[in-house]
Amino acid sequence: MKVLIIDDSSSMRMLLGRILDDLGVEHDQAQDGREALQVLETEGPFDLALVDWQMPIMDGIEFVRAVRSDYGSSGPRLLMVTSVNLLESVVEALEAGADEYIMKPFTKEALLEKMAMLGFELS
Amino acid sequence: MDANFINPFVSALVNSLETMLNITPERGTPYLKKEGQTQGDISAIIGFAGPNVTGSVALSLPTPVALKFYSLMMGEKVYRITNDVQDVVGELANIVAGGAKTELSAQNITFNISIPTVVVGPGHTIGHKGDIPVMVIPFEIGKHRFVLEVTMKLE
Repeated sequence: MKVLIIDDSSSMRMLLGRILDDLGVEHDQAQDGREALQVLETEGPFDLALVDWQMPIMDGIEFVRAVRSDYGSSGPRLLMVTSVNLLESVVEALEAGADEYIMKPFTKEALLEKMAMLGFELS
Repeated sequence: MDANFINPFVSALVNSLETMLNITPERGTPYLKKEGQTQGDISAIIGFAGPNVTGSVALSLPTPVALKFYSLMMGEKVYRITNDVQDVVGELANIVAGGAKTELSAQNITFNISIPTVVVGPGHTIGHKGDIPVMVIPFEIGKHRFVLEVTMKLE
């Protein structure tokens, strides 16, 4: 399994990377949506992308739309990670092509649960 | 400023610290900020604006608290304010603003939040938008004090 972590916060990238390291999961990272599209192209394929919503240059929703446009259903599963938990935001993310949604702050267990819902049993 | 508008920020901060850092700070009595008053050594500020509201929120920490938050979140010690420590403080402020946004939407107060700005240095002042009163909510963790500042104007 290979995961792409996309977040403009270096600490969140580090935190998520450590969780995946503990699980023995290979991962790569990008600090915004545009860089993530390049990483997908050069380092892919990825099974899953953890996508922060609010990022400069290209935000999470724009990235999700671009991935679904470029890769369709053959692209990675997309798990949106965001600090805002509004119904309209969830709907917007799912309509754009995200597969799941997790709200910050979250525990490692909550993240693993969401990943399991996407078919990645890691615990 | 109505407490109903402040409480979502407070509960989002406490929830963030409990969930991500496994600590519960002690909350003090809120007060109005005096002009030019300084707070911590590192502050993260986020502005927000929507059709019926403008405002900002700032998390301001003394160095020992910022270093503690970093070590609890990242599982490693640092001994000075590094770029990574600044990032952790900015991310915490971001999560607080996002949590408050979620809760305030139930009161039909909707807004977009900015990307955090982090300021470092002893004695710095935090500039909020306009001439709106700023509410300071003090917290204590161990022997250290830190604050959350919130200002909000409904149109």
